[in-house]
Amino acid sequence: MKRYFILLIIVLFSMQLSAQEWVVAPAEAALKSPFAFTDSTRKAGEVIYVANCKSCHGDPGKNNVIQLVPIPPDAASVKMQANTDGALHSKLIQGRGAMPSFKNTLSSTDLWRVISFMRGFNPKYVQEVAVPTIGSASAQNVSIKLNWNKTSGQVEALLTSLKENIAQPVAGAEVKLFAKRFFGNLPIDEARKSDALGKVSFNFPKDLPGDSIGNVQLVVKLTDEVAFGEASAEANLTVGVPTNRPALTDQRSMWGVLEKSPVWLIFAYVLAVLTAWGFIAYVVLQIRAIYRAGSKE
Amino acid sequence: MASEVNTDFLQDKKLDSIAADILRPVGITQGFVVWMGFLGVSLMGCIYAYYIQWDKGLIVTGLRDYISWGMYIANFVFFVATSLVGMLISSVLGLIGFKWVKPIARIAEIIAVAFAAVAGLVIVSDMGRPERLANVILHGRIQSPIIWDVTVVTTYLTISILLYFLPLIPDLAISKGRMNHTPKWLQNMYEVLSVKWQHTPEQYRLLLKAIRILLILIIPTAFAIHTVTSWLFAVTLRPGWDSTIFGPYFLAGAFVAGSAAVVIVMYFIRSNYKLDKYLTNHHFDMMGKLLVLVSIVYLYFNINEYLVPSYKMKTAEAIHLHDLFVGEYALMFWSVQLLGLVLPIILLLFSFFRKPFSMLVISIVVLIAAWFKRFLIVVPTQDHPFLPMQYVPKAWMVYQPTIIETAITVGTLLLVIIIITILVKFFPVIPIWEMAEEQHELDHKSQK
Ligand code: HEC
Repeated sequence: MKRYFILLIIVLFSMQLSAQEWVVAPAEAALKSPFAFTDSTRKAGEVIYVANCKSCHGDPGKNNVIQLVPIPPDAASVKMQANTDGALHSKLIQGRGAMPSFKNTLSSTDLWRVISFMRGFNPKYVQEVAVPTIGSASAQNVSIKLNWNKTSGQVEALLTSLKENIAQPVAGAEVKLFAKRFFGNLPIDEARKSDALGKVSFNFPKDLPGDSIGNVQLVVKLTDEVAFGEASAEANLTVGVPTNRPALTDQRSMWGVLEKSPVWLIFAYVLAVLTAWGFIAYVVLQIRAIYRAGSKE
Repeated sequence: MASEVNTDFLQDKKLDSIAADILRPVGITQGFVVWMGFLGVSLMGCIYAYYIQWDKGLIVTGLRDYISWGMYIANFVFFVATSLVGMLISSVLGLIGFKWVKPIARIAEIIAVAFAAVAGLVIVSDMGRPERLANVILHGRIQSPIIWDVTVVTTYLTISILLYFLPLIPDLAISKGRMNHTPKWLQNMYEVLSVKWQHTPEQYRLLLKAIRILLILIIPTAFAIHTVTSWLFAVTLRPGWDSTIFGPYFLAGAFVAGSAAVVIVMYFIRSNYKLDKYLTNHHFDMMGKLLVLVSIVYLYFNINEYLVPSYKMKTAEAIHLHDLFVGEYALMFWSVQLLGLVLPIILLLFSFFRKPFSMLVISIVVLIAAWFKRFLIVVPTQDHPFLPMQYVPKAWMVYQPTIIETAITVGTLLLVIIIITILVKFFPVIPIWEMAEEQHELDHKSQK
């Protein structure tokens, strides 16, 4: 009986631990940055860190993190630095709980840049750079063009790369399509591979709200940055539903300025004030009448 | 209130003795001078504290970015609450026809005037730049409950002053010939304020009509004043304030505080002025019953206000409730609920405790608890904003009232006591004409 009890405690205790630990699959943990971390990657990483991470993780080494549950570790902390580069990369892509996923917000290259910035706070860190995979169908300097195919109702991307100054189609490269939102990017359709002509066709929803004339800012990105390098393109295409929402402060509202206050409120307020003070004025007149009546006697 | 007055009581001998009883304490006595001297000197200290705040700004208080409503606002809510009793007693109970409120009505009105008048000053004390006070109106937005609050406090104060003044007019006229023991300026003041009152039926008709209008008008105004005060909190999306019953909850609490205040003032008037004949044990007994009634209603609202959210325990709400029930504020919270509400209800159910002295003790406890209750409504909620507190010194995350702040708050209380003392000392506290009229009617009935 006693043994069971101890066992139970051990099991519960380890469950507790595993609930807190954030484990990454070994293959992902083994991932390495395709480029070496230098001062310039750290600089670029700092900009990304300040814009996307600082609000929660604070300044590295200062321990001024936000008080969430669980607590976001300080970037310079042992806990953070104990991760392999691949583990950090994977956690940034996955996210967990309050920690957002940056899968659709930051490119893989940007993620490595942030990691290079965080590694700058660990003097013991020695980087291992990924060995480029030999024989992969890699093409460098890929450029992408976005188009709207009215007849098929699809958004098409054309992938080319320059070989001896001639544009060649890039086949078999995976790309993703996004629409830009106020924060981050909205994924559209699935990741698709380019065909032999370097073409990718994305199904596009018919009800995506655009701006006043239906324009939507689209972003397309290569996913396999190791094989093809970093490439993305943006285009403003008239593919959305024209949306003409007046600004929130245009109409009369409870949150507007005085001139934009709701009519019913002005009416109710003025009516209440006039009623109350009307009666008060009437009472004051009665006092005057009492005085007059007394003076006559 | 009757719509007509039989002026026969003016010829009744009883009027002389009633007027003599009630007017005896009026005027400047040695006790008054000593008491006012004490209040005045204490007030000077508090005014000095305010001078420091005026000079240095709100940094001398415990208020910071996160907890920006502290003792001052709690005190403001307490003042507004206490002043509501004027409406409850003279208006609601009077209009229903309870005769026993007659000698108490003016006391309730005095409390209403004193607390409502100083409530406005309390708000000014919470301002870092009081010299910009006019901006509240000049740049006010009609959508803001603060504007509604300013409007309604002013209206309530005006009506309360009129409701104090109008029933006083016949008394001022009656007193005129009987004030030889008082200073000349006071007699002149009576002459002016009595607006040529001659006790003519016409004047009584006008007077009663005006009073009647005010008695009805003050009911919605009083409801508005405290409901709007509660909205200052309830329209803010925050745990502890985000409640739909805040209006009635505040009103019920107001009547508890106000009734207790009336009992306290009644007790001191009765014992200092020897007015046992007019403020009888029966009046204390009735006030005790009233206090039980309003306390039970308030308890009911408290149960609603805390039980429902604590059954659901939404995350943010849970942190707040935890603070109140078992955390930082637990001692204050349970003292207020048990000593200030549950215990008085139990005790006052027994007529034994509805005697003047025990009523005084109970009322003092209830009134102190009422003050801390407002503190519990205002402050703990701000300890836990929805967005976490960040990048500020540790000291800014907690609220610790300073001595200066406390002194200014005490000063506002002294001011209330000074106003009450002056009104109670320079004017008859019990309506002479209403007492004489009632007595005359009683005698007449028994003769028949
Ligand atoms: C909204 C707040 C928030 C933002 C923004 C945020 N994080 Fe986090 N982060 C967290 C939280 C909370 C955790 C802990 C999650 C857990 O353990 O479940 C965390 C955990 C992590 C971890 C895992 C640490 C470990 O346990 O090994 C890494 C790595 C990380 N964050 C990096 C980043 C980077 C880099 C950025 C910016 C690109 C960022 N975070 C932005 C809140 C945030």
